[in-house]
Amino acid sequence: MINFNSLNIETVSMGIGVILFVLGVWGIVSQKNIIKIIISFTIVDTSIHLILVSIGYIRGKSAPIIDAAINKENAANEVVDPLPQALVLTAIVIGLGITALMLSYALRMYKENKSLDINKFKALKW
Amino acid sequence: MVSPISSIAVLLGSAFLVGLFKKTSYSFAQMLSLLAIAFPLFVSAQWLIHFIGTSDGAVMLYTAGAKPPFSVSLQIGMAEAFLTLAVNLLGLLSIIYLMKPFKELGVKALALLLILVMGLNVIILSRDIFNIFVFLEIASIALVGLILLGKRKHTYSAGFKYLIAVAIISSFLLVGIAFVYYFGSTLNIDDFVAQNLIVTKGLSTALFLLFIAVLLELKPFPANGWALDLYEAAHPGVGALISGGTATASLYVLYKILPMGADYWSDVLIWVGLISFLGSNILGISQKNANRLLGYSSIGQIGLLVAVIGFSDQLGSHFEAIFFSLFISHFLAKVGLFWLSGWVGKTELTAWSILRTKPWLLLVFGIFLFTLIGFPPFPSFFGKWQLIVDLASEHGFNWIVIILAGSLFEGIYLFRWLGYAIKGEKSTENKPLLDWQTALPIGLFALLIIGAGYVSNQWMPNGQSINLIPVFFILALFVLDFLPAWIKNTISIAGLVVYGYLLYPELSDDTLRLVFAVIFLGGGILTLIAGYSVKGKRAGFFPFALMMFAGLIGLVEADNLLQFFFAWELMTLGSYVLIIRGKRSMLHAYNYMLFSLGGAYLIFMGMAMATAGQSGISLEILRTTAFPGWTYALMAIGFLTKTAALGFHIWLPGAHAEAESDVSPMVSGILLKGGVFGLIVLFLAMGGEQAQANPLVYVLGWLGAITALIGNLIAVFQEDAKKLLAYSSIGNLGYVLFALAFMSNIGWMTAITYSLNHFLFKTLLFLAIGGVVLRVKTHNMHEMGGLIKQMPLSFIAVLIGIITLAGIPPLSGYAGKWLFYNAVIAQGWYFQGAIVFFAGTIAFLYCFKLIYAVFLGQPKDKFRQVKEAPVWYIIPQIILIIGIMVFSARPDLILKPVGELLSGSAYFPTDPLNWESVTASTNLGYWSGYKIMLVIGVMFMVLLGWLLLMSRKAQKIKQFDIVYAGETPFTPGTTHFSHNMFAPLYRAIGFLTLPMITQSWNRVNSTVHDFADSARKIYSGNGQSYLVQILAYVVIVYLILF
Repeated sequence: MINFNSLNIETVSMGIGVILFVLGVWGIVSQKNIIKIIISFTIVDTSIHLILVSIGYIRGKSAPIIDAAINKENAANEVVDPLPQALVLTAIVIGLGITALMLSYALRMYKENKSLDINKFKALKW
Repeated sequence: MVSPISSIAVLLGSAFLVGLFKKTSYSFAQMLSLLAIAFPLFVSAQWLIHFIGTSDGAVMLYTAGAKPPFSVSLQIGMAEAFLTLAVNLLGLLSIIYLMKPFKELGVKALALLLILVMGLNVIILSRDIFNIFVFLEIASIALVGLILLGKRKHTYSAGFKYLIAVAIISSFLLVGIAFVYYFGSTLNIDDFVAQNLIVTKGLSTALFLLFIAVLLELKPFPANGWALDLYEAAHPGVGALISGGTATASLYVLYKILPMGADYWSDVLIWVGLISFLGSNILGISQKNANRLLGYSSIGQIGLLVAVIGFSDQLGSHFEAIFFSLFISHFLAKVGLFWLSGWVGKTELTAWSILRTKPWLLLVFGIFLFTLIGFPPFPSFFGKWQLIVDLASEHGFNWIVIILAGSLFEGIYLFRWLGYAIKGEKSTENKPLLDWQTALPIGLFALLIIGAGYVSNQWMPNGQSINLIPVFFILALFVLDFLPAWIKNTISIAGLVVYGYLLYPELSDDTLRLVFAVIFLGGGILTLIAGYSVKGKRAGFFPFALMMFAGLIGLVEADNLLQFFFAWELMTLGSYVLIIRGKRSMLHAYNYMLFSLGGAYLIFMGMAMATAGQSGISLEILRTTAFPGWTYALMAIGFLTKTAALGFHIWLPGAHAEAESDVSPMVSGILLKGGVFGLIVLFLAMGGEQAQANPLVYVLGWLGAITALIGNLIAVFQEDAKKLLAYSSIGNLGYVLFALAFMSNIGWMTAITYSLNHFLFKTLLFLAIGGVVLRVKTHNMHEMGGLIKQMPLSFIAVLIGIITLAGIPPLSGYAGKWLFYNAVIAQGWYFQGAIVFFAGTIAFLYCFKLIYAVFLGQPKDKFRQVKEAPVWYIIPQIILIIGIMVFSARPDLILKPVGELLSGSAYFPTDPLNWESVTASTNLGYWSGYKIMLVIGVMFMVLLGWLLLMSRKAQKIKQFDIVYAGETPFTPGTTHFSHNMFAPLYRAIGFLTLPMITQSWNRVNSTVHDFADSARKIYSGNGQSYLVQILAYVVIVYLILF
């Protein structure tokens, strides 16, 4: 039996992140439909965000937002590491950009070949 | 100075601004983009000049008013300034080059290009790994966006494969960065390095992800199918941006993060890089699509650069110069080739013959290819030289073998390509228009290569020892190429004369070198005289002819290994272009180049091993090499490829026979002596008579004897006059090799005499036969006949030539024979000597065939009107005949000082020739060229007088005053027996002349090609297999490391 009380949030999020990463990569290399490949990529993307966040998490600390609850002078001791969270924000934006590009490629490829099967796009080789 | 941060701001701002313009105001947007890229270009140039002028270190720039880890920091030093300059220049010229396609696409394309350039700038400048990641992504997005805008076939699928591969790679990168931060608490490279963290399992895995991701961005073989597909499908302008832009930035990232990793990462870089270099170049040889081939080549070159980064510790203070030379060569040449491929328009390599419609583009193409392979005077030559020498000093011989093997494979496909361009079938389609937007960037890059060659020459240790005056002279000839041929010919001859005059005092007391200098310079002048008969411009001939002669004379002048190798490669380059000028020379020039390239790399390898553990690179260190066996064997084989010893001879007949009439004597009578001189330098280093005990010399002796026999034998069965002379050269060089291998005073006298004789008579014969061929327009001897009446001077020249060749008294060929017998008897090599003697007898057969089939017998109807060879062919022949006469009558003029030099030095002090005025003697007998000349002369005059006296009443008969079996012939063909002249001999020993060696080389060739062809099937075209390859690559490297 898993003792749920001993599980903490960063381990869970890291664990899920790793599982999602592997799943996503598996999906990218095993799915034949281009849209499904793109969806698998977004899963990989999300998994990395989870991993990033869990790296910066410090147990019992608050969100890195300075407001009424957090004293400005003592902020460094009261909040989690803000940097990974900033990184995640950037990574989300980049992931969005890449996903959008992939989808527009998928659209063009479909228009060219009337198919979304990745195996139908092997004209260039060797 | 302007901060580079403002460059980034300007690029980003103008990218947004450009995006706001409408299609109607496109030209304004275009102007704005040009200015927007010109600004960072200016900033980089300013910093670069600053760093060159001062000895300041790199400057750190902080952002957001805080220092790391609270902000991102950028650094600009010499390297960053230089690399951003390169990238910004590429961006600026790309806008110009892509002006037309961009115009159709509108402002979006301009904005994407600006973003791409901005991204590359930040990647180079930034010291923050996450910042680098972000801008790698931005650059990728911009690049893929540019690809999306293109409208070529299969572009979309290639772009998608690329995108998905980059996405996976950057996932690894991001996870790696996250964990590096987790363990190191900083994203700043310098902070991380300063912490000197204890390497734990977790940290090393984090760094593994970081490193492997950056390496994968550089498309290592074999996990690079996604990149190859893109190179093939993308617009060439985009291909240039990938190969020159993103690869440059990623390379520098690798260099920046290297100190973060443990020491073993250097080794990983070396292996990953060298495997890419070798593998990619091997697979490239079966490639027929130009753009994909450029992709293979790019991956190979970048692999080499990755390896150089891995070597940075070993290379020490030379690292910058080596990296600069190799990087700038790849950058300029590869980008230039991509741009050129856009102009050619077609993808097949064979379509590049279209370049011939624009000769200067063909020249530029040649510059790019020779730069990639590493020929002088281009920067890569100096970079590779120093890289290999430095690796040798660390005893990294395995690495050197891989680098040279990879370079050889690269040469195989690049020279085939060059051959198609110079000699391939002319395409019948309309030639594409060359607008200034294409011409300007390509021309500029070609000029920059020449400039970079000068810089890296001056920068490299020992580089300044190279005499650049001939190179500048050759460059001037390129500039003057618009002039008519006779002016350029005069300039070239004047150049050789002046050079010889200036050189003479230096060599006057070293007769051995002087003999070769006379052969190279004097021969050059004589053969160039024949060139006066060519009308028109003769575009591109003179620079390369002079390049060959500059290389040859450079060998004589060389004091150190770099000078020698520089001269050797210069000679190879020049002679290759001369040979390929012949009508049917494409394949032969290609074979010549491959053997020369292979030979040059063996010589290079031998030289590198000689430098190991010794200081300096003077030729003297060959004597004290720590690896005498390897050094001497490798260099000897290298030189033997040039002298066309049996086994390495298959290139010679075609190359010499199919060359132009006045080029054949250059490459036969003169060029072959380059290899002989190389052997002499090598044997001198082996140390005189001690080398007699060296088994290598014994083997060379046998090789020389068999080469003499087979070369002469094949010559006998030739129907093509120039091929006959070519095979005869193989045989004659066999004599020289045999005589050199005696390693005795008299043996070397024989070799020098043979060399000088071969120069004199083979140049004479090739000029004479070349003159005949010019008139009768065929090489086939059985189609000629009876030309003595029409071409009496040529007949006399051939007669003198074959008397010398056959070693009949009184001419100097007999001197060689006399010396040869003395040497054989002194040495006791009777069996080999008998073979060479037999070969000499066989030579009589082809000598007879040459003069009989061409000049004697029955004249053919169609040649009754031919005239004597052009006067410009006759003049050098007369000079050569005078030379033969002088050398025959007074051999002491040359042989005495050579003998004194050999006896006086430490090489061969024992058993010299004794000279008493004109008479030479050994303990076996004596010989006087002068007296023999006199005796034979008197005998000749007496017999001639007797003949004239007896035949004064004889009646002249006409050609058909003969009767066969009661039948009067009317066609000359039936009365002239010259085809298949020695058929009975062929039935007896013809099996010795079967092309077995050619067949085995062909088998090697097809095996390698088959291997490459099946190995490249791993690039299946399936995007998912590419991803599996990437994942497998990651796993395999991980398993090897941990």
